[in-house]
Amino acid sequence: MKPSPPSRLVDLQALMVRAVMRPLTRDDGMQRNWTDGSATSEVAAQFIRPNDRLDSFDRLQIYNQQYWWRLLGNFEEDFRGLRAVLGERQFDKLAVAYLDHCGSRSWTLRDLGRRLEEFLRAHPDLTAPQTELALDMVRVEWARTVAFDEAEKPPLPANKVRNIPPELLRLGLQPYIVLLELNHPIDHLLGKLKRRTEIETGSVSNAVSGVRSRGRRRLTARPSRSPIYLAVHRHKFSVYYKRLDPEAFRLLCALRKGAPLDKACEIAFSFSSDSPEVMAEKVQSWFAAWMNFGWLTRPPAV
Amino acid sequence: MPSSRFNAFTDYGIGIGLRIPHYQHILEKKPVVDWFEIISENYMVDAGRPLHVLDQILEQYRVVQHGVSMYFGNASRPNRDHLRKLKKLVKRTHTPWLSDHLCWGSVDGRYTHDLLPMPYTWEAVETTAANIREVRDFVEVPIAVENVSSYAEFHMSEMSEWEFLNEVVERADCGILLDVNNIYVSSKNHGFDPQVYVDAVPADRVAQIHVAGHSKFEKYILDTHDHPVLDPVWKLYAHAIERAGRTATLLEWDDRIPSFQDVHREALKAARFLPNNEAVAA
Repeated sequence: MKPSPPSRLVDLQALMVRAVMRPLTRDDGMQRNWTDGSATSEVAAQFIRPNDRLDSFDRLQIYNQQYWWRLLGNFEEDFRGLRAVLGERQFDKLAVAYLDHCGSRSWTLRDLGRRLEEFLRAHPDLTAPQTELALDMVRVEWARTVAFDEAEKPPLPANKVRNIPPELLRLGLQPYIVLLELNHPIDHLLGKLKRRTEIETGSVSNAVSGVRSRGRRRLTARPSRSPIYLAVHRHKFSVYYKRLDPEAFRLLCALRKGAPLDKACEIAFSFSSDSPEVMAEKVQSWFAAWMNFGWLTRPPAV
Repeated sequence: MPSSRFNAFTDYGIGIGLRIPHYQHILEKKPVVDWFEIISENYMVDAGRPLHVLDQILEQYRVVQHGVSMYFGNASRPNRDHLRKLKKLVKRTHTPWLSDHLCWGSVDGRYTHDLLPMPYTWEAVETTAANIREVRDFVEVPIAVENVSSYAEFHMSEMSEWEFLNEVVERADCGILLDVNNIYVSSKNHGFDPQVYVDAVPADRVAQIHVAGHSKFEKYILDTHDHPVLDPVWKLYAHAIERAGRTATLLEWDDRIPSFQDVHREALKAARFLPNNEAVAA
């Protein structure tokens, strides 16, 4: 139904935001028809004044275009890996569908991709036939955002936990660590993409000509024979990927859920045939590394 | 305006926007810059590199916060989560004043991330002024509102943009961040005399001035912040300084950002127009 001319601030803002957020046409213009099939130019004329060079439609179109170009630009920057997996055309279609459906619910564009994984799970057609690879990629790319600027708690010094019995020892993990179980080697794919981008932009060499077409090749990978366990984390203000043993991954997940150390170890090694001595040795070496990274903290207050 | 309650009685000279491509140069070379303006939202995070860099900058420089998504002109009240994070950052930077735009940009929690133009109505005056007062009372620093560039006007408007600005700042009792580039851009897009706008602004409320570059298209001008400042904007700046006196001035350059030296050199051109010029070389 064609809206009536707004007379209150709240109505004008609701109408304009509706117009601004409508997806652009294929040639990047504002849609000619309003949601009810009437002319968008008529709707625009109801609340926007024309001038001697631009009619109401043209003036509204500037905001419609700015909205989409800004959000699409930011979205593409955050999900370069997904774009490389799907190719430009499929990625663009997905980006418009996601932003049209979910939009931005935050004052910061940093959160733009927060609901992408959930959205893609509900709309597998948008990523077919690369759905599983695309989902893995999105999870890692969102994890990068989290790892980049999520909170950091004071790391727990080793001497604070040394004398606490395992059945009483509960530990927290740094909020910036994201633990992922993946079916594809996304860390390697992103490394490959980074190298490809460096070549294309000339930041490694000047060999730009002739490699652009290679840059448009889709990024692809076969599913891994066994799950890949990855921690996406931050060290000295840079984001890193660290592959984990399955037992180490389960141990960290259990600790994050609040299990005491003895229970977490039990969960971690529930499928293992390692001897108790080997298990103890592994746990000791993992803890040494995690302490070194500052991953372990006091548990969150219950 | 020289030091006043709208800029916490400070006397800042010429600053530039703190931008990522310049981080390394600034931290390594420590160039002499009077002050930096930061986009608040870029640092309203819990940890990580942005805050690490900011802390290093704060050890050496004076920083003023400039926001892009408080949306004083929204029909709804300010977002409380946003306010809490903003106040936390204010405590970190000790910004003497805080600026954001005289615009709106979100409805029912959906954000456009744009600076959408206000309808110049009495209802909007009251709503906007109330929102500014709420923000100021929460963050406890003086607020300066910035006029935006616009590409559309509304049938429902009841006054000119400068009349609207004056009514809002009077009712909110806040300062003005006068963006002379935005005045110029809007004057071309809407066909008014930019000098009339500058003359109408209460000079005693101007806490800060922005200058920037813009892009000309066939039928309108876009505020792109990707060029040096054009001559007509410098002329308007000179006129604003004549009226307001020595005022904290900042060059915005946000896209196709050249070297730090080029940006700083461009900003320092403002020194030609400032009384009691004590600007320093880049």
